[in-house]
Amino acid sequence: MRNHFSMAITAGLLVSAAVPALAQQPALAGDPKEAHKKIAMCEGCHGIPGYKTAYPQVYHVPMLGGQQAAYISSALHAYKAGQRKHPSMRGIAASLSDQDIADLAAYYSAGHK
Amino acid sequence: MKRFFLPILILMLAGTAHAKGNADKGKAKAAQVCAACHGADGAKPTAPDQPILAGQYPDYLVKALADYKSGKRANPIMKAFADQLSKQDIEDVSAWFASQKSALHFQR
Repeated sequence: MRNHFSMAITAGLLVSAAVPALAQQPALAGDPKEAHKKIAMCEGCHGIPGYKTAYPQVYHVPMLGGQQAAYISSALHAYKAGQRKHPSMRGIAASLSDQDIADLAAYYSAGHK
Repeated sequence: MKRFFLPILILMLAGTAHAKGNADKGKAKAAQVCAACHGADGAKPTAPDQPILAGQYPDYLVKALADYKSGKRANPIMKAFADQLSKQDIEDVSAWFASQKSALHFQR
């Protein structure tokens, strides 16, 4: 009985620790103007039309303009946390703050041509 | 001159080695597997954290789906859907979504 109780508490603590981390992401408001100072790292690949990654596989790097902000944010957070594995993207995302990620997501999602 | 030939040949072969997807078959498959969340043409996802697929590069979509299927890209929801797709299905749905129009565009 006691065991079940402590297991339930542990599970509850784990969930309550994990859920806010996920829920927080869209809450930060991004500023596309601030992102102008931060896109230097992105442009080298995503800013070249038709650019392909050379490592570890060859394919077009995804188009970001017009993509949904919350998706860009979740992708960058996943790279930062190591859940997505692309080496270059992991390195870059690791250097971004939550505010940087929000700004970049706002920048790319806001663009319409 | 000769030393340029081999790399160019390799590049040409690499370009054609990829099995081409059939967008029409992809449309039918996408209607069964993908459309409920991403929209029939991939342009209007139902939730803000789901990506727009319409107009994305087809080889990127193939790579993403293959990674979901293998588990390399860990996402339980997408894994379940990617598992329903054969290699050819992945090529087909990627060709379908890539050929559709959306807000997605190249942006510096």
